[in-house]
Amino acid sequence: MTRPGQRWTTFAIWILLSLLTLLPIWWMFLVSVKQRADLFGKPSFLLDVSSMTWDNYASVITNPSFQKYMLNSLIVSTANAALVCALGLLAAYAMSRYRMKGKDNIFFWVLTNRMAPPAAFLLPLYLLYTGVFQAGEWSLFDTRIGLILLYCVLNLPFAFWLLQGIIDGIPAELDEAAYVDGASTWQVLRTIIIPLAGPGIAVTGILTWVFAWNEYLFASTLTSVNARTITTGLAEFVTVTGTNWGQMAAVAMLTLLPAALVLALVQKHIVAGLTFGAVKG
Amino acid sequence: MSSVTLQSVRKTWGSFEALKSLDLHIPDGEFLVLLGPSGCGKSTTMRIIAGLEEVSSGTLLFDKEDVTRVHPRRRNVAMVFQNYALYPHMTVAENIGYPLKVTGVDKAKAREQVLDAARKVDLTDYLQRLPKDLSGGQRQRVALARALVRDPRVFLLDEPLSNLDAKLRVAMRAEIKHLQRSIGVTMIYVTHDQIEAMTLADRIVLMNKGQIQQVGTPDEIYDDPANLFVAGFIGSPPMNFITGEVADGVFRAPGVIVPGAPGRGPATLGFRAEDVTLSPSGAFQGTVFEVEPTGEATYLVVEVGGARAMLRTDKKHRPALGSPVAFDVPASQCLFFNPSDGLRIRRPAPHLQQVIA
Repeated sequence: MTRPGQRWTTFAIWILLSLLTLLPIWWMFLVSVKQRADLFGKPSFLLDVSSMTWDNYASVITNPSFQKYMLNSLIVSTANAALVCALGLLAAYAMSRYRMKGKDNIFFWVLTNRMAPPAAFLLPLYLLYTGVFQAGEWSLFDTRIGLILLYCVLNLPFAFWLLQGIIDGIPAELDEAAYVDGASTWQVLRTIIIPLAGPGIAVTGILTWVFAWNEYLFASTLTSVNARTITTGLAEFVTVTGTNWGQMAAVAMLTLLPAALVLALVQKHIVAGLTFGAVKG
Repeated sequence: MSSVTLQSVRKTWGSFEALKSLDLHIPDGEFLVLLGPSGCGKSTTMRIIAGLEEVSSGTLLFDKEDVTRVHPRRRNVAMVFQNYALYPHMTVAENIGYPLKVTGVDKAKAREQVLDAARKVDLTDYLQRLPKDLSGGQRQRVALARALVRDPRVFLLDEPLSNLDAKLRVAMRAEIKHLQRSIGVTMIYVTHDQIEAMTLADRIVLMNKGQIQQVGTPDEIYDDPANLFVAGFIGSPPMNFITGEVADGVFRAPGVIVPGAPGRGPATLGFRAEDVTLSPSGAFQGTVFEVEPTGEATYLVVEVGGARAMLRTDKKHRPALGSPVAFDVPASQCLFFNPSDGLRIRRPAPHLQQVIA
């Protein structure tokens, strides 16, 4: 039983936390629906919802650069998530089911790849992308495939770790039963492992998708025009003649939207997926 | 259907020897039970036959075909796992039909076979349910049906009844036996429950510590055990043992004098509770330690010859604790073992006895 006082304390804490996280988003939203002049006029504009305009959104959406960046982001994130899930699943399955020497060492080695600060790889990667990984005129620099591969490297350890826990939670006896029933390894994967690990695979896909969608550091250094993603595209609204705050906020809102939508829809499954196997194998 | 032959099959994990050179032939259509305490290697033997475990050395034959290195999917064996290993995301029908689906059997034909298998185990009303909505006994039937749905060379059952409650276990036991008789399959059944083994088997293979202790029909194993382990493992209550000394054909222990004993020197005498007849002038003299009525009989725990023995007596018999008790055991039911290696000391065959005489 909770006493009423206790309940109000909990309530207050939640309100405070929500304010801390949601206020900047609300602020950004208001900036995106205001005229430029309003932003600097009254300090109390945070509470003023009277003069809203969707002009910023209209001009952003019809902007060809924005369209291209959005498309790039979508392609890069989705391809990355798909590739990472596919490779991670195969690696995790092999790791979970087959006996091999030095298994724990391999697992730890893969995880350590994720422990170094990504920025440490920035310069070598830049040099590799512009000068080494190239064929004639073509190089990995400023290509979507370049970003996809890089995000794969960054996300695979995470996917591998997450999926291995999930596959470990599926009893190996099911595989054995399927083999005895006449299934091949691919059939076991397709008909037993993937359906049972479905929620976990979905969570892995969504989380790696969001990581790629939000990534800024590499996207800003390893792309210039063609493969620029929406997060880095934001910076283009800071120009020599001033910053277009309204449009920038509109772009930021649109960038936020897909990730927020996806996470809101599947948040229950994410918790379920992350704790899969913890309750019962 | 196939016969199964294991030739010098060994299995080691590092320095641990799970199976020590196993030789066994299982004829086509036999119901063979692998029996033994946990860790005796019976499950390993079964997993080797299924192909889920590789042999360290030795050969495995189905009929005359060497399948030692054949992948489990190509062996065409059917297996029922201890906790059934049903695919939790598939309905009963999909579970039963899985072996047909993965081997590419025509869908219409597969549906017919699934129905047929479901009918054999009385599951036709549950085909659209998921395993989690079934009782333990029903899950057991699904696992059986999945094994029955195709025409396997060998049927393997790994402690299939151990997760069921006692009543259901007895019912399923009869069903499995009936099923095996009616379709005439070669069935290999692993259990640690000697009652299951006795009731089901054509032949029992009793294993311990990775070695076969004895192979025989349930009667042979029960009446003619090869060593102390077999004698002590089979039977409920287990066989009684009294250690003593044999000299001039007479076994002696404190309060026990049994003539007609083979060999000489230290020996262990074994006899079963039900072979005992109480008689005031009996060769065995002891005292009553405890009285255990079971309804159908009264068991006396008796201190005799420096050991405790169980005697089966009339259900109305209720002696006072500590009172003296004397009994006899027919000479043919007295078995002698060598206490150092546990092996049976047998009486010479009749024609040899004459020679000795």
